[in-house]
Amino acid sequence: MDLRRGRIGVIAALIVLAIFIAIPATDVTPFYLAFLYLIFFWISMATSWTILSGFAGYWSFGHAAFFGTGVYTAATLATKFGWPFLATLPAAGLLAAALGTGVGWLVFRLQRLRGEFFALITISLTFVIAAIVSNTDIDGGSGVYLISVQMPEFFGSPDGTIYTLGLVFAALSLMIAWWVYRSRMGLGLFAIHDDEDVAEVKGVPTFRYKLGAIALSSGIAGAVGGVYSIYVSYVTVGETFEITVIMYPVVMSIFGGSRHWLGPALGAVVVTVALYGFPAGPEAALARGGVALGLILVVLLLPQGVMPSVIRGWRAVAPRSLVPPRLLPEPLVPAPRTDELAADDRGVPVLECRDVVKTFGGVQALKGVTLDVRQGEILGLVGPNGSGKSTLINVITGHFRIDRGSITFAGQPIGDLPAHRVARLGIARSYQIPRPFNHLTVLDNVALAASFGDGHGETEARRMAAHWLGYTGLARKAFDLPPQLNLHERKFLELARGLAARPRVLMLDEVLSGLNNTEIDEALTLMRDIRDRGTTIIFVEHLMRAVVALSDRVAVLNNGTLIALGTPGETMSNREVERVYLGTAHAS
Amino acid sequence: MPSVALLDQALITGILTGGLYGLLALGLSLSWGLLRLVNIGHFAIALLGAYLTWWMGTSFGIAPWWTGIVIVLAFFVYGIALHWVFMRFGITEMQSMLITFALAVIVESILQFLWTADFRRYDTAWGTQSWVIGALYVPKLSFIAFVVAALLAGGTWAWLRYTYVGRALRACAEDAPIAAAFGINHRGLSFLLSGLCAAYAGVAGVFIALIATLAPSQIWAWVGIVFAVVIIGRLGNPLGALMGGILIGLCEALTMAIVNPSWAPLVSFSVLIALLLFKPRWI
Amino acid sequence: MLLEIEDLAVGYGGAPAIWDIALQVDEREVVSVIGPNGAGKSTLINTIAGLLRAERGRLRLGGADLIAVPAHQVCRHGVALVPEGRRLFAGMTVEENLEIGCFRPEARKDRAKSLERVYGLFPALYEKRQQLSGTLSGGQQQMVAIGRAMMAEPRLLLLDEPSLGLAPAVVGEMFRAITAIQAEGVAILLVEQNVAQAMEIADRAYVLEEGRIVAAGLPAELLSQSRIKEAYLGL
Repeated sequence: MDLRRGRIGVIAALIVLAIFIAIPATDVTPFYLAFLYLIFFWISMATSWTILSGFAGYWSFGHAAFFGTGVYTAATLATKFGWPFLATLPAAGLLAAALGTGVGWLVFRLQRLRGEFFALITISLTFVIAAIVSNTDIDGGSGVYLISVQMPEFFGSPDGTIYTLGLVFAALSLMIAWWVYRSRMGLGLFAIHDDEDVAEVKGVPTFRYKLGAIALSSGIAGAVGGVYSIYVSYVTVGETFEITVIMYPVVMSIFGGSRHWLGPALGAVVVTVALYGFPAGPEAALARGGVALGLILVVLLLPQGVMPSVIRGWRAVAPRSLVPPRLLPEPLVPAPRTDELAADDRGVPVLECRDVVKTFGGVQALKGVTLDVRQGEILGLVGPNGSGKSTLINVITGHFRIDRGSITFAGQPIGDLPAHRVARLGIARSYQIPRPFNHLTVLDNVALAASFGDGHGETEARRMAAHWLGYTGLARKAFDLPPQLNLHERKFLELARGLAARPRVLMLDEVLSGLNNTEIDEALTLMRDIRDRGTTIIFVEHLMRAVVALSDRVAVLNNGTLIALGTPGETMSNREVERVYLGTAHAS
Repeated sequence: MPSVALLDQALITGILTGGLYGLLALGLSLSWGLLRLVNIGHFAIALLGAYLTWWMGTSFGIAPWWTGIVIVLAFFVYGIALHWVFMRFGITEMQSMLITFALAVIVESILQFLWTADFRRYDTAWGTQSWVIGALYVPKLSFIAFVVAALLAGGTWAWLRYTYVGRALRACAEDAPIAAAFGINHRGLSFLLSGLCAAYAGVAGVFIALIATLAPSQIWAWVGIVFAVVIIGRLGNPLGALMGGILIGLCEALTMAIVNPSWAPLVSFSVLIALLLFKPRWI
Repeated sequence: MLLEIEDLAVGYGGAPAIWDIALQVDEREVVSVIGPNGAGKSTLINTIAGLLRAERGRLRLGGADLIAVPAHQVCRHGVALVPEGRRLFAGMTVEENLEIGCFRPEARKDRAKSLERVYGLFPALYEKRQQLSGTLSGGQQQMVAIGRAMMAEPRLLLLDEPSLGLAPAVVGEMFRAITAIQAEGVAILLVEQNVAQAMEIADRAYVLEEGRIVAAGLPAELLSQSRIKEAYLGL
C-alpha cells in the first residue's frame, strides 16, 4: 500500500514538473515568467529554511546572511572574474554552505545557544556580513551591476533561463527536503527538535546532524541567491540583507507548517501571491503588514501551520487504501543480540565503574563510586533523594563527563564518549519522568531508538518498533502522539524505547512510580522476562518491595558513596542502610 | 590618527548615544529577564512613538512633552493588552519573538504607508542647541535624554530592589510557584511590568523624535545594537542596560572617529556574537 | 482543629498521586507524615500550600475552605511553606528572601519584629543578611527557607524534607529550631524521610505509602509496628 501511494506521489510530482518545464515554450509573457520565478525563489528559500529551523528546531533569523553570501559570490565571480554565470552558482552554494557549517561548528557545541539565542546569533551574523560586504570592494557601498553578464538562453531568452534555474532549484530543494524528511536523518532532526538531550542519549549524532542540516539549508539559500543576483541584475547591500529576506521564509514555513517537507512550499505560494499581487508603493507596504498579521494569527490559532490540517482533512476524505498502512505488529519472538549472549557469559562483569567522581559547582555528587555490574543480572540501585543515583546513570550514559575515575563497558572505556556513542555500544536508559518526543508518533519514538540504538534502516526500524510496541502492550497506540497517552502508557513507552535499542545494559529509572498494583506486577513480570532473554538491568526504584522481589543484587548509594552491595536480604538488613533509611534522632 | 579633541568629542557622543540605547534597552531587558518574553516589537513601538511626536509637533504644533504624556499612557495600556494576548494563548518565549517580530513589521508597514519611506526630521528652535566646553560640544537634547535614561534606569533599579512589588517581581522571575505561596499574584504584577516596558518605549520614542532622523526601517537598525546592550547588561538589570548602552555607544563612536562610520554596525553585532559565544561570567 | 483534610485526591495528568487522604492537625501540634520516596508526601504538602489543585475532597484551615482558593491567596489563611529543596530566590539576598516571606500586607506590618525573631532563631543569618542566598551553604539555605516561612507569621508551618542533604550536625540544629518554633505556638506539619528524627519531635504521625495513608497514631505505637520497616526497606 505504501509503495502504491509513493508511486502516485512520484507520478504526480513528475507531471507537475513537466507542466512547469513546458511553460516557457508557450508564448507566456515575461511578466508571468518572472512572477512564477519569484514563487519558485520563495519556495526554495522557505524550504531551505525549514530543513534547519523547522525540522531541527534551530530558528535561524539569519537566512539573509547565507542568501546574501550567494548573491555576492555570484555577482563578484561573474563581473570581476569573468566566470561563466552558470559556473558561479555551485560556488555560491558552496561558499554559503561553508559559512553555515562554520557558524554551526562554533555554535552547535554550546548547549545554551538554542532557542532565542541561536536566533540572535544568526540575525547578528546577517548584519556583520552586510557591514563587511558594504565596506569592502565586494560591494564598495554602491552596488554591483550584472547587466553585462552573459547569460545562456534557455527557451530563447534570458527570462527563460532565469525561470528554468528557479524551477530547477525549487524542485531540488523540495527533493532534498523530502529526502531528509523521510530519512533517518529527518527522524533524528525531529527528535533534536523535541528534546535534544534525549535524542543524543538514544544514539542520535546530534552535532553531526545539525551541521548537516545547516549546511544543506545555507547551501540552497546561497545557490538560490546566485540566481537571484542575475534576476535583479543590480545588487545592493540594502536590498540583499533586507529584513524581508529574513522574515518571509519564516512566515511561509510557519504558515504552511514547518514540520512537513511540503508545508513551506504551500506557504510560499500563498504568501508570494498575496505580496506580489500588489504593485509597488504604499499598498505594497500594507500588504507586507497583512502578511505579518497573518503570521500572528497562524502562531496563535494554528501553531502547527496549515499543512497538517490539510493532511488531516485529506486523510478524512481520501479512500482507505491511500491511508498509510497501519503497521500491525506481527507476533515476532523478541530477538536479543545473539552474538554477545553466550550463556556462560552470565556473571562476568559487563560494566565496571572505578572510583567515579562527578562534581557540580563545588558539590560532589559522586565521591568515588566503584561498582561492577554483572552480565545478565538485575541490579537494584537505591538510596535516598540526592544520593547520586541519577548522576550515576547520567555519567554511565555519557550525558555528563566524569571528573575522575573510569567507566568501562565490555572492556572499553566509555567515560569520555559522547552519549550517542555510548548508546550505540549497547547501553540504554529510560527516564523517571517520561521524556518522549512529543511530536513524533509513539511508533516513531520507538523506531528512532531502534534505528539509532540498534542500527536499523528506516523500514526495518519501524518494523522492529511495531514489535516492541506489541511486547509492551502499546500496539494500539502506535499512531498516537505521546501527549495522548496516560502516565502508565508513557512509562511503558519509555521501556519500549529502551528495549528497541536492544541494549546489553538497560537502565530503568523509577519505571514503577505512579503505577497501581496490577500495573506494577505486569511491569515486574516484563522485567524478569527481559532479564531472562539476556539483557542486564540496572533499575533505580523507591518501591522497596519491588526492589527486594526483583533484584539479584542491590547497591545502596548515600551522599555520593556506595555504602552497601549484596543480595537484597543482606543489603537491606545492613545497619548502615537502616540508619540511612530510617534516620537517627539528632535533637537533644 | 584623529586629534585628541576629536576623540574627546567621540567619547561624549558615545556616552550620550549610549544613554539613548540604554533607554531603548530598558523595557526589553525587563520583559525578557523578568517575564521571559522577547519583545522585538519594542523597537517598533518606540519608533511609532517617535513618529507620533514628530507628526503632532510638525502638523499640529503640539509640544513634544504633551504628546509624550499621552504616548506613555497609551503605550502602558498597549503593553497590558499585549500581555493579555500572550497569557490568553499561553505563548512561549520563541512564539513571543515571532509575534512581536510580526508586530514590528506591521508597525513598519503602517509607518511607511502613512508617512512614506522618506527620512523625516523634527526641527525645532532648541533642538540643535549645545553647550560649548572648550573645543567640545554637548548637545542639550542628547544630554537631557541621557539624564532621563539614567533616572529611569536608576529608579527602576531601586524600585526592583527596595520595594515589595519590585522584589516580588524578581522573586516571580526566579520561582513563580513559590512566590505565589507567599501571596504574590504573578499575573497582576506581570501586567504591570509589561505596561511599564511599553511605556519606557514611549519615553524613548519621544527623544528619538527630537534627536534622530526618522525612517521606518530604523526599527531594524536597533535590533542588534539593543540586544547586544541587553545581554551585556544582564537580562532584567536596568542599571546594566544603561551601562551596556554606554559601552556600545562608546565602541561605535570610537569606531566612527577612528575608522569609518559605516563600520559602526559591525562593532555592536560582533560584540553581541562574541558575548553569546563566550558568555563571560559577568553577564 | 486547625487543619482538616478529608477524602483528598490529587493527580498529575490522569494518574492519581494521592487519594483517600484524611488528616488533621490541631493548634500547636507537631504532626509528621513519613513514608518512602515517591509515596506522595510532597504532593500532599504542596496541595495544602495551594501549589497543586486537588481533584476531590475537603481541605479546611481554621474553618475556611481552601479547596478552590488560588495559590497566592492561600497564605492569607495562615499557611507558610518550606518547600523541598529549599527553593530560595537565589539571585536575591538573604534579607530580601526573608522579606518576600512577609509580602502579605498583614505580615508586612510586623516586618521588623519578624526579622528580629528569625535572626534570633538563626543568628548565623544576621551576619549573612546582605549575601546572595544562592551562595550560602546548604544548612544556611535551609535556615533562610524556614525563616522566610516564619516571616509570614503562619499558624501552620509546612515543612517538606528539611533535613534533606544536610550534614548530621546541621540536621540537629534544624530540629532544635523547629522545636523552638513549635514552642511559640505554631502548628507544624512535617514531611520527612528521616523517620527517627521526625518521630522524635512529633505529637502524632501518619504513614503514607504509595499514595494512601496506611497507618496513623502516636509515634511510639507506629515505631513498634513492622509496617514502617516494610515500607522503607522492603523486608
